[in-house]
Amino acid sequence: MKIVLNDVPYEFTGNTLEDLLNELGKSQQGIAIAINQQVVPKSVWCATKLNEQSQVFIFESIAGG
Amino acid sequence: MSSLLIAGYEFHSRLFTGTGKYASADAMMDSLTASESELVTLSLRRMDLKNHTDNILQPLQQHGIKLLPNTSGARTAKEAVFAAELAREALETHWVKLEIHPDPRYLMPDGMETLLAAEELIKKGFVVMPYVHADPVLCKRLEEVGCQCVMPLGSPIGSNMGLASRPFLEIIIEQSRVPVIIDAGIGAPSDASLAMELGADAVLVNTAMAVAKHPAQMGKAFRLAVEAGRMAYESGLGAKRIQAQATSPLTDFLGALS
Repeated sequence: MKIVLNDVPYEFTGNTLEDLLNELGKSQQGIAIAINQQVVPKSVWCATKLNEQSQVFIFESIAGG
Repeated sequence: MSSLLIAGYEFHSRLFTGTGKYASADAMMDSLTASESELVTLSLRRMDLKNHTDNILQPLQQHGIKLLPNTSGARTAKEAVFAAELAREALETHWVKLEIHPDPRYLMPDGMETLLAAEELIKKGFVVMPYVHADPVLCKRLEEVGCQCVMPLGSPIGSNMGLASRPFLEIIIEQSRVPVIIDAGIGAPSDASLAMELGADAVLVNTAMAVAKHPAQMGKAFRLAVEAGRMAYESGLGAKRIQAQATSPLTDFLGALS
């Protein structure tokens, strides 16, 4: 399915947010995800299914003051 | 030296630190370790899907230092609340350093948006540490809406100009019933020491430690300065006066020679 990931079109072959992170090779540590401007709690990533044209934003923690 | 309580959490170090601008994760960890800081700030950003990011989270978690996400990048209260909610998920903490600066040149915090965001975040159960101007009225308002501390600036972020806002910091310290943490602009250990001597409860230092030629040694220098300043404050500094007041007794024991 086609989703929009961090503002860029992305072809996704899995179902859930957890699948997406696995596909991207990203650890769940220090990461937050929002779908359609709503923060998705980490506890439900494995059960959260993505839909065609879902707007997904993944955020990561970085250095800062 | 007494410990510091914020929202029921006890800090033995009154030096809070940031993670920005270090040349490497190793340099950062060496500096933070030498500083003995127990609270360190982090930021959030959209994940870079193409490039690998240097992982600083793992060494920080191994070290056991408490993490304080900031809302840097937020230009409005709405964006800051969203950033705080993301940070709560990312770093599994309900503590947040609330900073809203719409102007990238001077990074001046927007007091009105900060107050609005603080009210909402407190309702949502966050421990809110707001970064603000050295504005005594705003600091009282933030205290009234339930902020667990206030973080007025000494001078612009990263400017190393020290406590340019000193007269206003002194009013804030006198009036505040929540801990006052002087944030931003602290460029030298002497600035940190002065902040503590004035009665600040803690300072937050980032740039001055991170860009030092020897970050680990500078971390230690700040630790010592903060401890010295706090000890001096707790010991009770003498009042300033214009006239001299003799330290040795002025007796006339040499009078017979003249």
